[in-house]
Amino acid sequence: MRNRLYRNFDRVLLVVALVIFVIGISSIYSATYTEGSSALRGLVLKQCIWMAVALVILFIVISIDYQRFVDFAYILFGLNVILLIIVLIFGRTRFGAQRWFSIGVFGFQPSEFLKITFILALSSYLGSKAKFTYQPSDLVVPFIIMLLPLTLIYMQPDLGTALMLIPILFSMLIVRGVRIRHLLTIVILGLSALPFMWFMLKDYQRQRLSVFIDPNADPLGAGYTMIQSRIAIGSGFVFGKGWLSGTQNQLNFLPERHTDFIFSVIGEEGGFIGCIILLALYCILIYRGLKIAQTTGDTYGRLMATGIVSMIACQVIVNTGMASGFMPVVGLPLPLMSYGGSSLLTTMISIALLLSIGMRKPRF
Amino acid sequence: MRIRIIGIVIFVSLFLVVAGLFYVQVVKGPHYQRLSSQNRIRLLTIESPRGRIFDRNGELLVDNRISFDVAVIPQELKDRERVFKKLSKSLNIPKEELGKALKNNFVTPFQPTKIVFDIGKEKAIMIEEERLDLPGVIIETRPQRHYVNKNIGSHIVGYLGQINSRELTRLKSYGYAMNDLIGRAGIEKFFNNYLRGRHGGMQIEVNNRGYQVGILGIKEPVKGKDIYLTVDIRLQEFVEKIFENARGGACVMDPRDGQILCLVSSPAFDPNLFVSSKNPAGITKLLTSDRYPMLNRLIQCEYPPGSVFKIVTTSAALDKKKITPNTTLSCDGSYSLGGKSFRCWKKKGHGQQTIREAIKNSCNVFFYQIARMAGADNIALYAERYGFGYPTGIDLPDEKSGLVPNKKWKLLKKREPWYEGETLNYAIGQGFLLVNTMQILRMTSVVANGGYLVKPYLVKKIEDVNISDVEKRPVEISETTLNILRDGLIKVVNDEGGTGRRAAVEGLTIAGKTGTAQTSTSKTHAWFTGFAPADNSKAALVVFLEYGGKGGLGASKTASRIFQKMRDLGYL
Repeated sequence: MRNRLYRNFDRVLLVVALVIFVIGISSIYSATYTEGSSALRGLVLKQCIWMAVALVILFIVISIDYQRFVDFAYILFGLNVILLIIVLIFGRTRFGAQRWFSIGVFGFQPSEFLKITFILALSSYLGSKAKFTYQPSDLVVPFIIMLLPLTLIYMQPDLGTALMLIPILFSMLIVRGVRIRHLLTIVILGLSALPFMWFMLKDYQRQRLSVFIDPNADPLGAGYTMIQSRIAIGSGFVFGKGWLSGTQNQLNFLPERHTDFIFSVIGEEGGFIGCIILLALYCILIYRGLKIAQTTGDTYGRLMATGIVSMIACQVIVNTGMASGFMPVVGLPLPLMSYGGSSLLTTMISIALLLSIGMRKPRF
Repeated sequence: MRIRIIGIVIFVSLFLVVAGLFYVQVVKGPHYQRLSSQNRIRLLTIESPRGRIFDRNGELLVDNRISFDVAVIPQELKDRERVFKKLSKSLNIPKEELGKALKNNFVTPFQPTKIVFDIGKEKAIMIEEERLDLPGVIIETRPQRHYVNKNIGSHIVGYLGQINSRELTRLKSYGYAMNDLIGRAGIEKFFNNYLRGRHGGMQIEVNNRGYQVGILGIKEPVKGKDIYLTVDIRLQEFVEKIFENARGGACVMDPRDGQILCLVSSPAFDPNLFVSSKNPAGITKLLTSDRYPMLNRLIQCEYPPGSVFKIVTTSAALDKKKITPNTTLSCDGSYSLGGKSFRCWKKKGHGQQTIREAIKNSCNVFFYQIARMAGADNIALYAERYGFGYPTGIDLPDEKSGLVPNKKWKLLKKREPWYEGETLNYAIGQGFLLVNTMQILRMTSVVANGGYLVKPYLVKKIEDVNISDVEKRPVEISETTLNILRDGLIKVVNDEGGTGRRAAVEGLTIAGKTGTAQTSTSKTHAWFTGFAPADNSKAALVVFLEYGGKGGLGASKTASRIFQKMRDLGYL
């Protein structure tokens, strides 16, 4: 039984994930290399500790049949939503947003984990054949499952993570077989509501969107990050300035470069070649994930794998697009690369679930 | 299967990201590379010290000292109120003025802005010690011009001023920059291109807050070239002391080659005033004074020469063979022409005289007569041969050329014929004739050196290069004439009844000529010009006292004192 299980263990997927993590660690090292503040110096070590923890959790998750998670999906989801409410009331404020719990020196972000419990809950709902009949009315519950945490995360405020739930939901609905017609209707309705959304945005979010349209409107304020990040990536040219030699990075022109803008460090120091190599690794990761989703015979497993792959892919696309200035600045980490324990744990648990699904293909 | 749709959407999006990266990094890469360098690289100018100026004995006249300025880095100036209050207390400057200076000189938040200039070493150290308590305040140093002897020699060395926008557009291609100092008078102006150094520069790397984190390259500033003058500052100081408050000037030159030993124009000014902006009232006072201290009276002013011009009249008459050395003419105190009486300065008259005696007596009537014999145009011709009407070519800026009138000039300029009475005035250095003081000195030198025009010069060496190329131009005046003139000039100082007796120095044979030039006012200018020793002259001199009375009195006395001092210094 054990042997058969591990015969289907996708080693490539795990190795690629670890390689991306190592690239991430070296980038964080470079990003904090010349930083004067001593608080940032230990980040590489902290991130490694997080990875060790994540690997332990990874093997625990793998050893449990993913069906158990589906069984407890609603409970996990419910607990996570409660945590979101608590963090809104008691959480620590960082960069003007309440996203954090403190556990010793480590911060903890419930909104990151929500992405997983959200996928679990949706898989659980959409996977049960009895409840799903391809009628438009069946879309009501999935949307409620999405809108509840989305609103809470939006209130933190964390627009990036909140919006991330939308493509996850849509990808899972598509794979479940919901009529494209219905989905298009919803998309059109959603788009027509966008102008009203503008008024719901916080000031800083509006500012970020305006500077996306014209970064030079406020080059030292809201547009600063965007301009500097684009200069960093662009000045990397084909081969990059070399590890630890990026001037934008080392001279502190790039804000938040060890977290959301870690890709700018790669772009500046590794150049176009470095970016291509990193994106190729992500492509392998995504491809292996999709393969698992495709080859599993189990609907729950397929939905879960689809959600996970969409989540990772979306974050990669939005984060790199944002760093190179083609998308507005929303706070989204680059999976496995950005510094941050919650993000790393979430990604590693997702990968564990993918591996678990891959290992437990039903026998034919 | 529908998973393919998801896959396609994801991979197409990723491809778009790659395409975007290709555009930003490869297509626009060089553009962003340039922006990235601009981000981090700043250019700082390193000011170069100007060349120094020394006198003929290597005595330092003009130097550069270090000036300490207080500057603030605006973005570091967190607690402006408190810092300014503290600064204002230790520097004794009102707080409001500090704020105003910051506002006026502000460039960018990260660039140091100078707010107080030249605070002196002690205060600079004091502020440097309190720096921890004064965040954002720094002390900057720069070389500043220092005129060691203040007023002494100011008309020689000149002064500096900030380049103006018109000059800047003209001189930009020669490496001048805004706020550069440029010579405004004297040697500082004439030799500005040698004295000024070439600014150096430093390419520094800065971080996002504008802090310097490294040096990428340094171009060392090139120091300006040092200049060595022919002037002896001891003599210069001595003569300036004589003049003190008088208006006028004096110059001593070696008649053999034209090197100037001292050049005094009085009143003088302190060039240090123009260096710092601390005393604008002092500058205004200098510029608006009715005594015109900024004017170099020796070269920038034109005066009637009076009787010293009789040297020219004599030359014209003798050389053109109108008279011989032995021709005697009589003076009974006045000379009448066309019903008008032209008087001699001595009412009783000088009686029968030869040319030598007439020079000694400075007898106007004698010279009226020989002038009429020679004619106005011949006097003009000889005036020009002696170098009048043209700048002497001294190495100082803004020299006036004077005016040598002749018949044609009168007709063209005044549209009138030449009147014979004007020839009489011409003979005694009055009328339209105007000269600058250096021209008189050069004329005297021709008699002293036996017949050639020299170009007066002040600079003998630039750095190690000797530039004292002596320009000797033979003058078309016969040796006999010059000998007779020299005899006459010796008599002026040495003979009983000579007009320049007061110029005599015991044990020295001095030759000279006095002059008393009438002006439009009742006061007269006083002249004395002469040389010594008379037979082998090593020094020629001119003394001019604006509205100074008779040349035979103050001017001659001054000349005597100068000759004495020169003997003490070993020049004679």
